[in-house]
Amino acid sequence: MEDRRPRLAAVLLPLAVLLGAVSLALAAWSLVGALRAVRPSGGQLLLAAVLEVLILVQAVVAVVLMVVGTPPLSTATFVGYLLTIVLLLPVGVFWGLADRSRWGNGVLAITAVTTAVLVLRLEQIWNR
Amino acid sequence: MSPTSGRPAGPPSDLRPALRSGPGRLLVAVYGVFAISASARAGVQIVTSFSVAPLAYLLSALAAAVYVVATVALVRSSERSRRVALVSVTTELVGVLAVGALSVGDPQAFPDETVWSGFGAGYGYVPLVLPVLGLWWLCSQRPRRPV
Repeated sequence: MEDRRPRLAAVLLPLAVLLGAVSLALAAWSLVGALRAVRPSGGQLLLAAVLEVLILVQAVVAVVLMVVGTPPLSTATFVGYLLTIVLLLPVGVFWGLADRSRWGNGVLAITAVTTAVLVLRLEQIWNR
Repeated sequence: MSPTSGRPAGPPSDLRPALRSGPGRLLVAVYGVFAISASARAGVQIVTSFSVAPLAYLLSALAAAVYVVATVALVRSSERSRRVALVSVTTELVGVLAVGALSVGDPQAFPDETVWSGFGAGYGYVPLVLPVLGLWWLCSQRPRRPV
């Protein structure tokens, strides 16, 4: 029983690194869009969708780990962050796409940067 | 029917979607993020360990309330909510400056972090810059009254 957790847990760090990289890529793309004063493109939307899928995978892995293994020290905080990171991107994309100007791209950039920060915080809380 | 002849009571004449479009849309996004993170932080602090630092945690709750009110007011985007936002953003600026100064000058009073301690250093000083941008935006959206 005990040795199942480390094996599955080994997935979490690479997944978090990938999540961080994809969200920062989305942030950079959106920032460039905002500076060039264009509205968000379909490619950005696709990348955001990929990011959300990765976030959901991470959430499922984390929940499985919490159920079968020892949960993180501050479980409530961890679950709070998990819920926030799952919901943040869809809400941010919805809010950003409603504005057909550079500011929509600005909203996407902020959403993506916040997602990257949340990934980092989740990782810290998990390992505390 | 001259639009300046009288202001009909009710929200339709008050609606100013401009407050939440353009730069306002960006502000709503940042305020929304801070509303969520400050509320969650204050909630966890107060529920799990209120007695450790009551002052800091109550200030966390105040900060959270200020961010929530500002976010909702910006989203509502009416002239009345613009004034509500003005009050909450001003409170935010005073709060971040006061708590920032106190936490640096008298760290004993703040055994635990709040969003505003160290002038928001834990949040990349965004809490310090945000109210300034907010005040600029809200003042730039002041309606021009017909003379």
